[in-house]
Amino acid sequence: MTQVTRSEIKVYRDLMGANAEWAGRSRQMLERLGIVMINLIGSPGSGKTTLLERTIERLRGCLRIAVLEGDIETTCDAERLNALGVPVSQLLTGGGCHLEAKMIHHALCDLPLSELEMVIVENVGNLVCPAEFDIGELTKVAVLSVTEGEDKPLKYPLLFHEARAVVMTKTDLLPHIPYHLALCLDNLKRVNGTIPVFQISAVTGTGFDAWIDWLNGLSA
Amino acid sequence: MHEFGLGEEVVKTVLEEMKRISPPPHRLLSARIVVGAQHRIVPDHMRFIYEVLTRDTLAAGSSLEVSVLPSTALCPDCGWQGLMDESVLLCPGCDTGNLRTLHGMELFLDRLEVEYRDTSDSE
Repeated sequence: MTQVTRSEIKVYRDLMGANAEWAGRSRQMLERLGIVMINLIGSPGSGKTTLLERTIERLRGCLRIAVLEGDIETTCDAERLNALGVPVSQLLTGGGCHLEAKMIHHALCDLPLSELEMVIVENVGNLVCPAEFDIGELTKVAVLSVTEGEDKPLKYPLLFHEARAVVMTKTDLLPHIPYHLALCLDNLKRVNGTIPVFQISAVTGTGFDAWIDWLNGLSA
Repeated sequence: MHEFGLGEEVVKTVLEEMKRISPPPHRLLSARIVVGAQHRIVPDHMRFIYEVLTRDTLAAGSSLEVSVLPSTALCPDCGWQGLMDESVLLCPGCDTGNLRTLHGMELFLDRLEVEYRDTSDSE
């Protein structure tokens, strides 16, 4: 005779536990070495790689930087950044829509850390999942281009809530498109009242000074 | 896509926890996760991903319960505390955007329900 019984087992286990552990490990290591790590998050085509190129050109004289480049496929972005003469490591997620802490930790360990002051991570182009995953960064920075629409802060509030700064890119297009800058800024304020917004153009160079000062301030 | 990444964590954790159950159960009936509303999980989508990812595993055939916890927040400026609209993080008390989340970021595996089958010859 077969007796069937049911049993309930309480688990109460954090689903991000493993990721949090790796993130904590990286955070501790970077803190010990005095390295600032920034997690750059924005949608595909928002201008993250171009922002990085122009940022590195301005920072490399005063800060020793490396880049971790996250992509689903291809090494095009890493090749672009490699041309700037800073250490670049390409992370391919092979379909994964975000970078995870374990991946980042191993990539960090392969960098010449003793020679660095800042690591900038370009996350996979996506406004949703990368905001959920702590990778051990000091701060998340949201990249938002003016061609994406004013409503994005409201549609993807977690990212803009978690980020410590927003870089608004492609502002040289503003005279040519029906974009309500004030509305977008108001929407940003609604999800994160104190967030600084850097309005920049990689084409004209407008707005880079304040952004570079802010980055330098993180490392000071 | 959003649910997929989290779904992988769910299934990985469920399978790890199942292996720790002693004595080993005959099968898993259900798993329950608790998710804060700020993760913006669509329960139906999550259950579908769970079904797909548990195929051919120890957890195959089990169901996933998704319990969503509402977001609550506290305003450090005016002291307002209450239920929060997840998309607008503006304080209903004083209109500033400095709300601190109290609940709504939870994400954990709450419990497993397993079945044991005791086959014995004794009457």
